[in-house]
Amino acid sequence: MTIQIYDPTIEAKGRHIAYVPRPKSLAGLRVGLVDNSKHNSDQLLLRIAGLLEKDYGAKAHVMRRKISAGVPASPEIIAEFKNACDVVVAGVGD
Amino acid sequence: MELKSRHYAARDADEAMELCAAKGWTDGLPVVPPTESRISAMLAAAGLEPGLEIAFIENRQVSVTAEKVAINAVLAGCKPEYMPVVVAAVEALADPLYGYHGPATSTGGSAVFMVVNGPIARELDINCGDNLFGPGWRANATIGRAVRLTMRNTIGTLPGILDRSSLGHGGKYSFCIAENEAQSPWPPLHVARGFRREQNAVTIMAALAPHQYSNGLSNTPEGILTTACANMRICAGTGRHPQYALVFAGEHMATMAKAGWTREDVQRYCFEHTRISAAELKRINLLDGAVGPGDETDMHTLVETPQDFLVIAAGGNAGVQSAYIPGWGSKSGSQSVTKEIRRS
Repeated sequence: MTIQIYDPTIEAKGRHIAYVPRPKSLAGLRVGLVDNSKHNSDQLLLRIAGLLEKDYGAKAHVMRRKISAGVPASPEIIAEFKNACDVVVAGVGD
Repeated sequence: MELKSRHYAARDADEAMELCAAKGWTDGLPVVPPTESRISAMLAAAGLEPGLEIAFIENRQVSVTAEKVAINAVLAGCKPEYMPVVVAAVEALADPLYGYHGPATSTGGSAVFMVVNGPIARELDINCGDNLFGPGWRANATIGRAVRLTMRNTIGTLPGILDRSSLGHGGKYSFCIAENEAQSPWPPLHVARGFRREQNAVTIMAALAPHQYSNGLSNTPEGILTTACANMRICAGTGRHPQYALVFAGEHMATMAKAGWTREDVQRYCFEHTRISAAELKRINLLDGAVGPGDETDMHTLVETPQDFLVIAAGGNAGVQSAYIPGWGSKSGSQSVTKEIRRS
């Protein structure tokens, strides 16, 4: 007699995320930097901002720090970036 | 009740077990094949319809249903009566304060430490005594395992993929205890966290492995806690303010009771005596930079507030051992959460 065994796994649901078009050029744009709070993440991001300004003509940057790497950026940070930035650099890593 | 999950045919129990392993549904140990009758018994014991959502994990966009929790509880070897505890713990995983994504994914390698309180702990024979964190009790071994298998199989918390623990620890198989409410000098943990004594509740905390310390010299709380704090202070350097569980076993528990120390007394003492200077943090490379003026008196606390020490009475009556359990990462990333265990 065969035994039927049931699958314990789940496939994650797809979620549609709307992206704005990528800018064709960074010239004159303001860059937001999301510091994920890991050691030296601020140093890395500032170097990236420096390159974006020097080599690609970005105008300015603003960096804000998350309270923890494991949580999303706060609504306040997102609101500030929406108002004050044209592009945002974010990432997670150790 | 009608189950929605896909199912597979196996010729016999041996083949069913091998199929579970081959499909990657296990933690490496053998599992109980999840058959319809076993899954239905699990759901019935908790009075749950299979389609009921137990948890929604935002980061993963995953809805964990009662059916999936039941299948994983069967795999883990749970008795049906354990199911309400497993369900409450899975519910807790989705609490925003627990912040599932961080502790589940981090290289920091935490497990889900679970403390069960209330009459159900005794009814289910969840161990609160000898060999507290070791093997030997079915409830302890399988309830925690069911939670971990649910994380693996439904939320995708797979080692090397969405579980990037560098090291992990044995608690990731199962990390479930009860509190020794009968002998505790303090109100039960869940009462301290807002529940009534007769309610059943489970507290979860993203936690590293237990660190055991011995003190057979002291017959005062201050003496025992001096040892505890010295051990913790060395590990305090992250400066990230996780929560800590402090587990006091029999002889140390008795010393606290005899001296009339409350849970709050223990928390205050440990808060004050685990402070560490910025200078020391710099010397042991846990704070960046050279030791400067003022660093010797710039004191950092281990936790954010005294209440971030979860004081728990549990462990064998013989011996002069207790343990502290560091929480994962930071309290801002993950906090301990207590949920009521509901039975039908």
